[in-house]
Amino acid sequence: MPIVAALLVPGSPLPQVARSNPPWGALADALDAAGEALARAAPETLVVYSTQWLAVLDELWLTRPRMQGQHVDDNWHEYGALPYDIRIDTALTSAIIAATPAIGVRSKGVDYDGFPLDTGTIVASHFLNANGHAALAVAANNLYHDWRTTEQLGRVAAEQAQALGRRVAFIGVGGLSGSFFRGTMDVASDRIASAADDNWNRRMLGLLEQGEMQAFRAACPDYARQARVDMGFKHCAFVMGALDWQVSGATVHGYGPLYGAGGAVVEFKLP
Amino acid sequence: MSKGEIIAGYLAPHPPHLVYGENPPQNEPRSQGGWEQLRWAYERARKTLDELRPDVLLVHSPHWITQQGHHFLGVPHLAGKSVDPIFPNLFRYQFALDVDVELAQACAAEGARLGLTTKMMRNPQFRVDYGTITTLHMIRPQWDIPVVGISANNSPYYLTTEEGLEEMDILGRATRAAIEASGRRAVLLASNTLCHYHFHEEPEPPEDMSKEHPENMAGYLWDMRIIDLLRRGRVKETFEVLPRFIEEAFAEVKSGAFTWMFAAMGYPELPGELHGYGTVIGTGNAVMEWNLVKAGLARAA
Repeated sequence: MPIVAALLVPGSPLPQVARSNPPWGALADALDAAGEALARAAPETLVVYSTQWLAVLDELWLTRPRMQGQHVDDNWHEYGALPYDIRIDTALTSAIIAATPAIGVRSKGVDYDGFPLDTGTIVASHFLNANGHAALAVAANNLYHDWRTTEQLGRVAAEQAQALGRRVAFIGVGGLSGSFFRGTMDVASDRIASAADDNWNRRMLGLLEQGEMQAFRAACPDYARQARVDMGFKHCAFVMGALDWQVSGATVHGYGPLYGAGGAVVEFKLP
Repeated sequence: MSKGEIIAGYLAPHPPHLVYGENPPQNEPRSQGGWEQLRWAYERARKTLDELRPDVLLVHSPHWITQQGHHFLGVPHLAGKSVDPIFPNLFRYQFALDVDVELAQACAAEGARLGLTTKMMRNPQFRVDYGTITTLHMIRPQWDIPVVGISANNSPYYLTTEEGLEEMDILGRATRAAIEASGRRAVLLASNTLCHYHFHEEPEPPEDMSKEHPENMAGYLWDMRIIDLLRRGRVKETFEVLPRFIEEAFAEVKSGAFTWMFAAMGYPELPGELHGYGTVIGTGNAVMEWNLVKAGLARAA
């Protein structure tokens, strides 16, 4: 089986840039634990879908063989720059780009000097691929793609990995509940913005831990709407499409607030 | 120091296609032209801006999105390469701009005084967004006037449209107060498209104008209605219908720049001068000017 691991991780930069703050440090520790688990699985390529790389025309995929630089987040610029150095699995990405028209999606490669990687991809790469052993295949979040289309994109990516015989891990980068605090706050006392959001997040994470995938799947639309989940929870759709929902449970390495929004580090148990 | 004032406001949309079509030396990709109606509209706007001789340009861009507050560029000089994450094939631009940090700080302080969350952006490695750069290039390609860059807090999307635009109204009033205290002669740039429905696949080449037209008729009709109201100076009526326009035409003015600019100018019932209208991948774009000097509402240089 080419899929050796699958994870959901938050794309906020806060655990990376301010891990000394206890609520965010706990998520950073969880990301470290996920990174160690991923290293044991030894994927050749991480197939990443980040809610923060937005596309509106076509489906975009990184095709530049190596991307290095520093990125400053639009909102959290006061915490400094995020360094990155990633390799792209251009063979797998090219195969995926060639295959998506079969599901009615035109894809394009992005191979430009200075292209601004999104914060989520950089943060995921920092924690999950610290030694740079794995290459990446990175998909944009086309704002007009719905849950079903995003699921299909994940499935196509998995099929192409299978065809090439790649050992891959699928990584969905995005948040859980999307309500956040809009003003300044004491970050040490960060919390989920509302009890309703917290309940939703815990219920969904509980279903994953118990392997109740049918109930989890049925609840996703209501969860996405009522808890204002980051980009409709499409990062989960991408990963589930790749796995064809064949999941026996999950380990939640961590769950906590990111300026009021929900973030969790989830490692799926594969059959 | 004499009292500062706003001398003009421009609706100055930011499709990177316009820079791409112009082929300036700062932009890597080359084109065969395209979107001439809009580019020529900007040529007319460049002339009137030149005549106004402003001290500073303030631009509010929907592509610098912030969740926690309204942010202001706060580094005296910013330079680098800005690659559009959505249209990297069209926009890879070497920019260098000077920031009026003193005025930016004053705007942030006034905004905070009126109850907004505001923040200065002090990181010299910050990549200025393509909306800010495109609007500034199209209106003033010489890059010789200091800038105040303002983020689009996502309040109109996170809260209701009306609640979000109320915040932009406050931001506009704060901007006006800061300008008046600064002694500057300022021009405001609202970096917004009108109807924002667009095509989902790009023609090859992108500048194939045989493929360019409004994405849908309802959106086009809305654009014409709004432009007609603005040309006749019916600003109050424009703002009365603005929420419906935003809802039905998916109008980018939702992001706040348009409201910010008019609030700062005091919503003058003043006919706007339409320099031109055109579509870009189906979206509606108007370059318009409200010249407060010509109207006798501000002093000439």
